Amino acid sequence: MNKLWTRIFLAAAAVLLLLFFSNDFGLIDIQETAIVVALGIDTAEEGEGYDVTAQIAVPASTGSGSAGNVTVKNARTVGEAIAELNHETGWYPTLVHCKLILLGEETANENVFNVLDYFLRNDAVEDSCLVAACSGTAREVFQAQSPVNDISASAISKVLSSEAQKTGLVSVTILKNFAIGYYSEGKSGILPYVSVKSEAESQGGGSSSPTSAAAAAENAEDAFGPFIKRNKWWHPKKRPLPIAAPVSAESGSGGQGGNGKSGGEDIFQASETMLFYEGKRAGMLTPEETLAYNLAATDTDFAYGNVTAEDAEGREITYSLKMKISKKKRKLTFENGMPVLTFSIRANARVADTDSAGTILDVAKTLIVRENVLEAAENKFREELTSAWQKSAASGCDLFGVKEKLHRFRHRQYPDFKDTILEKTEVRYDIRFTSMK
Amino acid sequence: MDKIKVRQICFFFAAMMPVSKLLVYPATLVYNSRNDLLLSAFVNCLIEGAAVAAVMLLSKKTEMSLFELIGNTFGKIAAKIVYGLFAVFFFASALLPVMEQKNFVLRVLYENVPSIISFAPFFFVCFYACVKGFKSIGRMADIALPVFASAFAVLILLAVPHADFSALLPIAGVPAKDVLKGSLFSANWYTDAAFLLFFLGNFKYEKRASAKVLSAYAAGCAAVLLFLAVFYGIFSDIAVRQQNAVAQISKYTTSFTSLGRVDYLFIFAIALVMVFRLCVPAQICVHCVCKALGCKPFIPAAAVNALLLALSIFFNYSFLEVQTLFTQKLWFIFALFAYLLPAAALLLKRREKHE
Repeated sequence: MNKLWTRIFLAAAAVLLLLFFSNDFGLIDIQETAIVVALGIDTAEEGEGYDVTAQIAVPASTGSGSAGNVTVKNARTVGEAIAELNHETGWYPTLVHCKLILLGEETANENVFNVLDYFLRNDAVEDSCLVAACSGTAREVFQAQSPVNDISASAISKVLSSEAQKTGLVSVTILKNFAIGYYSEGKSGILPYVSVKSEAESQGGGSSSPTSAAAAAENAEDAFGPFIKRNKWWHPKKRPLPIAAPVSAESGSGGQGGNGKSGGEDIFQASETMLFYEGKRAGMLTPEETLAYNLAATDTDFAYGNVTAEDAEGREITYSLKMKISKKKRKLTFENGMPVLTFSIRANARVADTDSAGTILDVAKTLIVRENVLEAAENKFREELTSAWQKSAASGCDLFGVKEKLHRFRHRQYPDFKDTILEKTEVRYDIRFTSMK
Repeated sequence: MDKIKVRQICFFFAAMMPVSKLLVYPATLVYNSRNDLLLSAFVNCLIEGAAVAAVMLLSKKTEMSLFELIGNTFGKIAAKIVYGLFAVFFFASALLPVMEQKNFVLRVLYENVPSIISFAPFFFVCFYACVKGFKSIGRMADIALPVFASAFAVLILLAVPHADFSALLPIAGVPAKDVLKGSLFSANWYTDAAFLLFFLGNFKYEKRASAKVLSAYAAGCAAVLLFLAVFYGIFSDIAVRQQNAVAQISKYTTSFTSLGRVDYLFIFAIALVMVFRLCVPAQICVHCVCKALGCKPFIPAAAVNALLLALSIFFNYSFLEVQTLFTQKLWFIFALFAYLLPAAALLLKRREKHE
């Protein structure tokens, strides 16, 4: 009996401890709490300081929640703005659910850690939250309404999803990684650059759109959404494939950030990447360079892209390739006392489609890619990677982690090259695409 | 005799010893040693390992308790004085971990800032453990091992994919004096050899007991070093700001999943083992007081826990000051009691087992 009671007491103690540690006795009063799902930080439009916009989720009994935006203007610090939110709304702001920090374009012109260090000084916001820069102001971006997502911050988060990173469309950055880059030897970082585009513009502008051939081609390209648009360097197909609609939003009115109504007119795009050095904007990668960078240096494992090459009859065909990266490596060596960075990349490619109807044999042999097509893909990849490297070297942004490599693996040479490594490094490419068989 | 078993001592070193080093210790170590934190920790492990080996050697040669050994050598009064000093030491070595754990629970496991008193139930548990004595340490160790092993393994598996171990390079890139400073200033996290000293005479030395205990100690150290490597691999240049490390390392795998932070289940499990570990210095403190004053544990246990509760409330907003005092100013006290005195115990006069 004694043993039984001991076991009962032990079990009860374990349950109580679980409840104690999980705070089931201290639930938050939802009626008094403003759940901030995203924060936008802009340089003040008038006067000094920052305009901080909080997108606050408004729970709804129907299950389709919406969000409202509250902007605190001319706050000297982000901390002050957060405190001010309480005064403006009467609700206690909780940032635990804040999954996105959006920096306005102007904010990036000065050291962004003037504002971001607030989130490192305390744990109010998890450092796993997404960080991005945006065109214009963050306040305007949050006012967009999404047809497929009720809250604009959620729509942006989907654009910045890990799935997008895996396919190389976006260089997703979380606060922790951005901070590590800033405080590391390279003092560098990257942020996806979110821009809002009206769906009308994206779809070709309707009847009021320009009708010139060039504009039509551009608009046709846009119509393919992020898939094609973000891979401009793989030339778009002449006849587009239907693809999933991108996340878009209707222009918000007043302080609404998505009001549960679909049918918006704006598209969020984040295929460009902003480069930072010492916390300030140092350059911008195009969507093509972003893809090349992702394929060479991040977790991106596979990607789609178009490349134009001649077929067996000498006709110029656009091939839509599906590429799987099987190996990626960056190696820093020294030859004759000078640094050499070698990109070694191996990828398998298969033809996903072409812009010209082929014979049944061509369709059947879709896994096999012609040598000249592979070569064209390699050349294009090399070209975009070179362009990204040149931007990195010119801006001082250690995009490919060369300064880190120098410090960690070549510590003896570090004092000699720590300030000049980007300019002095010779870049070599060992890129090989093979056909899937 | 035989209040605690060799198996349970092994479990203590393998499971309960590492958990005390999973909260503030990694960030403190980074503050001094930066990316060479593993070297600093390794130095501590070696020194404490030597102290553990010395105590095990002593336990092989005698079945007497420390109190009896000191009494034999210097007399009973001296033994009581030494036990009194150790009681103060164990009380001090209990205070900082209690404050660490309190901050961990209140900051990580609560969404809004809770009342300080939310942590008070711990002291009831600790009081109960203090009254029960060494036997409860053994039982806690029995429970702690499977809980720790499974939870720790899961947390590490969740964290490793996000760790860049090249962040630990260049090895020995930090000046040696900083590495040494890192070791010395973390002496207050390495007091486990002193616990073993007080287990003397309370366990029966088995065949190959020293090898078993030292192997368990090595396993515990390996867990600590692995944790530190993963921790620095994940946070590298911003590691110094990561308090409550155990709650941070695994979140990057789970926070983006639809399940949310399922890793909290395993963090709760580690927190449970931490509760057990926190009780140990308080228990030995009470044991020392009882021996020094010749009284029963009830009143000393109540007094020690009441004092710990009072001080943790009093220093609620002064954690950094207390940490600085213990790590940077009083490190030599911890080194003396946790490293030197256990080794010096070998010099005490003892009767041989065959006598």
